This record gives sequence, C-alpha cells and structure tokens, in this order.
Amino acid sequence: MTVLEVNDITGGYTRKPVLHDLTFSIGKGELVGLIGLNGAGKSTTIKHIIGTMNAAKGTILLNGKTMKEDPAQYRTAFSYIPETPVLYDELTLKEHLELTAMAYNLDASVFEARMGALLKEFRMEKRLNWFPTHFSKGMRQKVMIMCAFLVNPSLYIIDEPFVGLDPLGIQSLLDQMKARKDEGASVLMSTHILSTAEKFCDRILLLHNGKIRAQGTMSDLRAVFNMPDATLDDLYIEMTKEQQDEKFA
Amino acid sequence: MKNLHEVWNKRFVHYINELQKYLKFIVSGHLAIVITFVLGAAGYSYSEWLITAPADFPVFLLVAFIISLLLAISPPVTLMKNADGVYFLPLETKLNMYIKPALRWTYMTSILPAIAAFVVSIPMLTKIGGVSGQEIFVVIILVCVMKSWSIEVEFNYRWAASGKTIWMDRFVRFLLLFTTLYFVFNGNYFVAIAIVCISFVYFFVWKKKKEEVPFPFDHFIEVEQSRMMRFYRFANYFTDVPHIRGMTKRRKMLDVFYKLVPYASKNAQLYLVMRTFIRTNDYFYLWVRLTALAVVGAIFIPFPMVSMVFTGALAFASVVQLKHALLSGHEFRMDLLFPIETNARKLAVHKLLRMIQFGQALFVLVGVLIQGEYTLLMIAVPIVTLVISELTLRLGKK
Repeated sequence: MTVLEVNDITGGYTRKPVLHDLTFSIGKGELVGLIGLNGAGKSTTIKHIIGTMNAAKGTILLNGKTMKEDPAQYRTAFSYIPETPVLYDELTLKEHLELTAMAYNLDASVFEARMGALLKEFRMEKRLNWFPTHFSKGMRQKVMIMCAFLVNPSLYIIDEPFVGLDPLGIQSLLDQMKARKDEGASVLMSTHILSTAEKFCDRILLLHNGKIRAQGTMSDLRAVFNMPDATLDDLYIEMTKEQQDEKFA
Repeated sequence: MKNLHEVWNKRFVHYINELQKYLKFIVSGHLAIVITFVLGAAGYSYSEWLITAPADFPVFLLVAFIISLLLAISPPVTLMKNADGVYFLPLETKLNMYIKPALRWTYMTSILPAIAAFVVSIPMLTKIGGVSGQEIFVVIILVCVMKSWSIEVEFNYRWAASGKTIWMDRFVRFLLLFTTLYFVFNGNYFVAIAIVCISFVYFFVWKKKKEEVPFPFDHFIEVEQSRMMRFYRFANYFTDVPHIRGMTKRRKMLDVFYKLVPYASKNAQLYLVMRTFIRTNDYFYLWVRLTALAVVGAIFIPFPMVSMVFTGALAFASVVQLKHALLSGHEFRMDLLFPIETNARKLAVHKLLRMIQFGQALFVLVGVLIQGEYTLLMIAVPIVTLVISELTLRLGKK
C-alpha cells in the first residue's frame, strides 16, 4: 500500500524550477532516505510535500488525498522534523507537547501517556518547565522530535535529524523510528550521514539537480552505478564526480 | 586602514542617523505626550511651592547633591564595536585620535542634564539661598569644568582598572564634587579650593596609572554595547526595534488566565496566542502601557466626552497594534502545519483581543469609579472602550 505518492512534480522558489518532473513513492512501513548534494533539492522536495511550497506542475498524494482535497486529513497524516529546530520562545517544553497534542486532536489521557514515554526515552523529564532559550541545539532538536512522535502519523518527514544530537539521542531517535516502522508508519529522511542511511533505510532516493538520479535498495543503486561492492559513500562520491564532469564538459 | 579620526567621523554619522531614526518615534509617541504633561505639572507645582517654601529649606545641600550626582556619572560614549578588539589592536598607540572626539561628544551630551538641573534650581538658589547673579554665573562655569574633569577621570579609571569597581571611583568623585559645590555655595572658597586641589591630584593619579596598562578593549566595547541596548530598549516602548524583538518572560502570576482555554483541538491556536501575548514583553507591555494611560485618563479627565475620545483612541490603538503584531510575521512556524482550520489563528487572535479589551474596559471602569463622578455619561466611558475595540476588530483589514 502506498502512503506517499509524488507524481511528476516541477517546482521551486522562483520561476526557474529546482525540481524537475520528480516522481517517487513511499510504501507503508518503509524507511526511505533522501540523499543528495547541497542544493540538489532535498529541502525543496520536503517543502512541497508538507505544503509550504506549491508545485508548478504535478500532484502529491498522502494516503490517497491531495492537500487541496482535504487539508485537515492531509496534515494529520504526517509530522515534520525540520533541519533547524523551530520552537516558540514563549512556550515551555511541556507546552510545546501539549499544543501539538491539542492541534492533532489527541485525547488528554493518550497525550499524558505518550508524553511520559517520550520524555523518558529522550531523557528530558527534568526539563518539562524549561523554555527553549535555555536549551542546547541538541535539546531543541529533541523537542521537535518528541512533538513529531507524539502524534503517531502515517508518515514522518525528517530533515537532517542527527545534527546536534548526542550519541544517546541519535540512538533513541533510531529506536523510535524502528518502533514506529514496525507499527506500520513510513519515514522519509533526508540526511548526509550516509553510513546511517545505508544501514537503516529500506530504500534510497539519490537526488541530483532536482531529478532522481537513481532510487531503490542498495543493490539497485550499485547496479545503476555499476559498482558492485560500493558503499553509499562511494556512490555519493561517484555522483559528485558526475557533477564535476558535467561542469568541465 | 584610514586614520582613526576618520573612522570616528564615519561612525558618528551612522550613530546620529540611528538616533534620529528612533527619536522621531519617541518624540511623537504616546509616552512622550504623557512625559510632557508630567513635566508641565511638575513645573507648575515647583513654582507654586517656591512661593511658600520655608526659609530654612536645605537648598545648598539639595542642589549640590543633585548636580554632583549628574556630574559624577560620566560613562564615555566611544561607539566602539566588537571587531575593534582585533582591528584597532595594532593602532593602540594612535588611539588618541579616536578617543579625543569620542570624549568631546561625551562631554557635549552629558553636560546638558547637569546644566538643565542647575538652571531649574536657580530660582530656588536665589529665592531661598540668597545666591547672587554673579555667583550663579561662576557656578555655571564651575559645573562645566567639573564635568570635563569627571569625564576624564572616569575614562582614565575605566582604562586603568578595566572598569572594575567603577562605583567606588564614582563615589569618590561624587564626594569631591559635592563638597566643592557645597562650600562654594556657602562662600567657604578656601576650603573649596583645597578640595579642587585634591581633585587634581586624583585626576593625575589615574592618568598615570592608565599609562601603565594596555587599552581594555573588551571593557569599553561592553560599556558601549550595554549603552546602546538601553537606548534600544527605551526606543522599543515607542516602536518596534529589531535588535531586541521577541524578548519573553514567564509571568507565572498570570498562569491563572490559561485556565480560560481548556484542552481541546479547537483551542490550539488560542492556547498558543494567549501565551504569546502574555509572555512576549513587546506585546504585553504595549497593552499594559495603553491600559494604564486609559485608566489615568479616566481618573483625571473631568469631561466625559473628552474622556471617551481619549480612552476610545487608546482602545483603538491597543487593538490595531496587537492585531497586527499577532497576525503578521512571515517566518515559518510549526502551527502552520497543524491540521486545523486555516483561519484558526485569526479567530484566536480576535477572541484573545476581545478578552483583553474586556479587561481594559474593566480597568477604565475602576478609573471612572475612582474619579467619583457617577453620571450616566461617565459610566459610558468603559462601554466606549468595548465598542471601539469591537468595531476596530470587525472593520480591520486583516
């Protein structure tokens, strides 16, 4: 069953598109890595999916519905962890979680139970009444992660999740992702930590100049690049070389 | 690098532009109007008091105290920037080219409050203290010289001691200034001259000590930054200053109001907006200021129609400014992704503004009750607050 369908998307910030005829999909329970160089279009792709940018062409379906058809259902279906934590300076950690729970119509008892578990997992129990100004970069990221996992959506969209997290935080995030995946949720994760992506992702999307250069499992990618024993790092470097060759051509 | 005098000139022009940019808001702001009224009222009371002032009033002590205080506090305006600690370092020996105009500017701006205070006290000095016109002239010259001395000493002290325990130095200078002025007023010129000699010794001690240590860039940069921050904070009462936008405070005492928003999906935006309003200093103090002004108007304006126009204008200003503040902003916020109605934020802001304007009307009612004119028109003043608030909400563009 397909959770996310990106069909033939062309779009960008100005008239000159960043994404060109982008097409891919994510199935139920799949963890998909979105990999590409700086400026390849990863964040733009994510912005189109979460609805903060509109495509010039193409459609995006989440659980079979576009944002236009049913905005509330579309938005309930995903949660998003941005690359740079976006927090409210005027809300405490607990209030961030409570606000999210209210907005996503969670029952109060469900909220309490999930909040307790997440706080414990991310070792933030003692920070409940703290304001973001007192948080380190890693702690701010944890607040975003907890808000996203509180909601239990069908799709998690995670942009560079590991930056700023300590090793225990990274492990907790990976554990949570695995647990949610086992429950049937899907994950779209953009990252530059290639070893982790290679180890945990079911499929990889290699984005290059706003187009899908290659996609599939690691063995699919190795076949595309004709590098049988390559790691994801090797494939990534190969893609970089292609870009340099294009420049000098 | 250009010569340091040119650097000063360039910075000075930029600084004056920056001051002008915010001064125009301050001069035309609502607080400025209130300050004008307060000053007028104070001036009137002062002249009334002079008529009946007791002959044994300690006028010399009071004037010497106030003027010495204004003379002793003389922080330098250096316009130094963070990067100066690196880029000025090789030019330390030529630093005088920069410092001289800086201290001159410091003098020109900080002499004014002292002179103003002295001018205000002249009627008191001549009427109660029996000081002659000639003596007044001598003291004005003395005040001008003393300020120059004070600025030089404070600068040298800050340089020599990196600003540590500056209050000790200020206290010493205050004592020297106070006793000099007091003895001059009393006609004990020999004692005054002796204290002036001590003051010169004090000046030379720090001038010499200054030469033994390198210029403490960090200290002077910090002094300058906190001075500018104080100015921006002040300007922020009148307009939006980007440098200090969005400062927040918990205000735990007001937690009780959050109970008005129960846990429910439809209340998510109100939950957020209420906390944003109460905890963001800019928004909260804006409302507090305008409400306080409305209450003062309700208490002191005896004519109901004028009172209605005054409080009505403040209700209009409260709603327009807060609505704009809470609904504007182009930055990405997580609530833009919430699965709630697209106009939920707008509805929540309207609801919050109705709540707080009801509060403003209640305060105005208290003001009316304190005034004690229980006519029908007077009681209508808080109702005008509510009506104007509602009309502003409904007729607003956003």
